[in-house]
Amino acid sequence: PERSARVSKIRPPLHQYIRKLLFSDLDKSSIEDVLRQLRKLPWSECEPYLLKCFLKVHKGKYGQIHLIASLTAGLSRYHDEFAVAVVDEVLEEIRLGLEINEYGMQQRRIAHMRFLGELYNYEHVDSSVVFDTLYLILIFGHGTEEQDVLDPPEDCFRIRMIITLLETCGHYFGRGSSKRKLDRFLIHFQRYILCKGPLPLDIEFDLQDLFADLRPNMTRYSTIEEVDAALVQLEEHERSGEKHTDQEKPRNMSVSGSSSVN
Amino acid sequence: MKGPLDRTKVVLRHLPHTISQSALVEQIDARFCGRYNWLSFRSGKQSLKCQSYSRAYIDFKRPEDVIEFAEFFDGHVFVNEKGTQFKVIVEYAPSQRVPKQWSKKDGR
Repeated sequence: PERSARVSKIRPPLHQYIRKLLFSDLDKSSIEDVLRQLRKLPWSECEPYLLKCFLKVHKGKYGQIHLIASLTAGLSRYHDEFAVAVVDEVLEEIRLGLEINEYGMQQRRIAHMRFLGELYNYEHVDSSVVFDTLYLILIFGHGTEEQDVLDPPEDCFRIRMIITLLETCGHYFGRGSSKRKLDRFLIHFQRYILCKGPLPLDIEFDLQDLFADLRPNMTRYSTIEEVDAALVQLEEHERSGEKHTDQEKPRNMSVSGSSSVN
Repeated sequence: MKGPLDRTKVVLRHLPHTISQSALVEQIDARFCGRYNWLSFRSGKQSLKCQSYSRAYIDFKRPEDVIEFAEFFDGHVFVNEKGTQFKVIVEYAPSQRVPKQWSKKDGR
């Protein structure tokens, strides 16, 4: 048959080197060295390709995603523009995944959830970004005509995404305002779960592990009515508590020129 | 948490994948020149395997400019050379972080 042999992609040497560093050299013991090598690259030339490679966390080993997050944080000191771009890209990928909701993308979507969690662990995103993402996953596309395509009733993938993110960084939400935010989210999450009806066993077990891990004493509600009552109660509680709870401090960001006029 | 009133970083999504940074900046600068500190453009691509839109992140100087920008660009339709229409979405960027201007030069 007339079929040429598959031509393998030929990459420029610099790209090959970046790939070697990130996809084969990188491990716990070599990370310092890899970071140093990355800093030595000609950045103006390599930055777009590096960004692309950093977002390929799903191609590497799942257990190594934290190393990429650590590199991102390490590079932010010298290449903040790059480190900011990594976060923007991850969040865009997560959003895009929700918009497209394609089966073939699932593995990479899970890897991106893990990556976001690790970026939080390396103090490279703050908790509000994590919680905004969690809520986005619960509600995206709901109430629109496309709801059945974006989040089919029997599809538990979004639960899996949330489990992944909370498994990765949920244990840091143990006190102060982030503790309250997680408590609140977990009740909303329970409502979402109950709307799905009976769950496949593997998901149910992972959920049990997650709750046991993060909030062993939290009630798991068994009906929508119960969880709705809990949400009403929570809202009342928040309203009455508003006056004397410590408001979260405004984040100090944007050191650039104009601190916003209030 | 930063309230909606003091967020300044937005993302323009669903831009045509063929649009160039200079063409986009020209359109933005026609009205918003000098009102933003930082702009970062990500080119989309089109191949058989995947299609992605172009995007741009912009950090405005004042939160009020964001509102005006959104009024102008949200839902704005770009048309590419083939006549395909692209309806742009303007949203607050989920991460409001912007690069520090004084990023150190790496002594390596």
